[in-house]
Amino acid sequence: MSNTLLRLQDVSLGYDGQAVLEHISFAIERGEFLALLGPNGAGKTTLLRGMLGLIPVLAGRITYGFDRSTSPPGYVPQRDTLDPIFPITVREVVLMGTYARLAPLRPIGRQQRQLAAACLAQVGLASLADRPFWALSGGQKQRVLIARGLAVEPNILLLDEPTAGVDPGAAAAIMDLIAQLNRDRGLTVVLVSHHLRLVRSLVRSVLWIEDGRVSKGATEVMLAPERIMDIFGPL
Amino acid sequence: MDTLVEIVSPGFLLREALIGSVLVGCICPLVGVYFVLRRMIFLGVALPQVSAAGIALAFLTYRLLLGQHQHFMASERWLALLGSLSCTLIGLLILAALAQHRETIEARIGVTYAIAAAATILCLALDPAAEAHMVNLLKGDILATTGLSLTLMVGVFGAVALLLLIFRKEFLLVSFDRDQAVIFGKHAGLWDGLLYLMIGLTISLGVMTAGPLVTFGFLVIPPLTARMLTRQMLTFSLTAAGLGAMTAFAGFYCAYRFDLPLGPAEVALASLGLAVVTTTRGLSRMLGKWQVT
Repeated sequence: MSNTLLRLQDVSLGYDGQAVLEHISFAIERGEFLALLGPNGAGKTTLLRGMLGLIPVLAGRITYGFDRSTSPPGYVPQRDTLDPIFPITVREVVLMGTYARLAPLRPIGRQQRQLAAACLAQVGLASLADRPFWALSGGQKQRVLIARGLAVEPNILLLDEPTAGVDPGAAAAIMDLIAQLNRDRGLTVVLVSHHLRLVRSLVRSVLWIEDGRVSKGATEVMLAPERIMDIFGPL
Repeated sequence: MDTLVEIVSPGFLLREALIGSVLVGCICPLVGVYFVLRRMIFLGVALPQVSAAGIALAFLTYRLLLGQHQHFMASERWLALLGSLSCTLIGLLILAALAQHRETIEARIGVTYAIAAAATILCLALDPAAEAHMVNLLKGDILATTGLSLTLMVGVFGAVALLLLIFRKEFLLVSFDRDQAVIFGKHAGLWDGLLYLMIGLTISLGVMTAGPLVTFGFLVIPPLTARMLTRQMLTFSLTAAGLGAMTAFAGFYCAYRFDLPLGPAEVALASLGLAVVTTTRGLSRMLGKWQVT
């Protein structure tokens, strides 16, 4: 079995035919914990959306080391992209993750409910299953969305700014949870973040995106203090 | 009490009208749930008017091409349904396709409403032979509901309710988190298309049965009320449908008992329900805050 879960070969991504990122090539290995970092507007979310198949590939090729139709990737969006008008409970949100493997006419059964409950327990929110999703704090909502991503039973989990807009304590707890999923379950994790300090101590590799180009390497190299000083000044 | 006994008795003269009214009250909110959740409420104003314009246009086109059609015949209902459904679906698809340009959506819906209302009146003016009858049909000729039209409603509304129930997880996913649906390989466009088809059918039959005002009222008001009372998707939909059906029944009772126009009576009752729930909720929140402080 190939150890490469996802490979981009000379890929260009963008919107309305206009490339934001061009000639991107890199691979993600099974069990990797990768952070997509870079300045605001560099194209981190564009790259993540391209990897998820949410925007068309303008050039090049993305290949997956798993069958996307039977085992899609887990995805944790920014919670602000979801509309609070929906009257929906925590359990219902997590159950949505199980829809990935449910054909249209198949109802949600005991197996799906047990999986959703287990995923919710894994993020430490089992007791909140019947609470309205919108009544939760920002950090709790993010954990619920991670549980939904886990309910997909994915090979790879991709998270878009999982700590955006949550207080520092909750952000650290979320990052610890994600690191634990990578460490204990061997789950491949790719996350977009701008929390350099939080990410630096946890991720094993970094993909730096700037001026439409990417460079990938080990965290200690990519986020070496002297490099960070060059880019941001002292942290 | 006598009136209540009278209208629920099997021999009630307007039994078909009562059942039709309750069906519209029950199914419009089931579809309307997605109007509210997808923030398409303004579409709910424009589309019934587009549907009414479609009926007027179908009758006018028939007269111009084939001559005057016969009133109160089954063919008239089918003609009206064809015109109503075609125009509603075309209008819905165009407005939905343009919905991504959110900054001008209100303007587009407003223009659609104005054009549809003007087209309805113009078509009526050009078809004087049908005008008097058409005015009734466009207002919602619920009292003219026949066994045949009731059968059609039961069939179509039953199918809509069934599809909404069995595909509710797909409609929820596509409405709540479209990106997630795409990642799961669900064909979001197809599910949208099916939902729009059901919306079109419901609005067309609703307008033919009860008129644009009642159809819009039931599309929007019961779901808005139910949203304040529930916190799960399934109970939200069922509560909206239940509230709509109860309001339609109560509206029919009031209209019959006090000799009121049926449509406005139903919408007024639904609005009263919304006002009561909103006020109670507001008071309860204020009380909660006051107790905390």
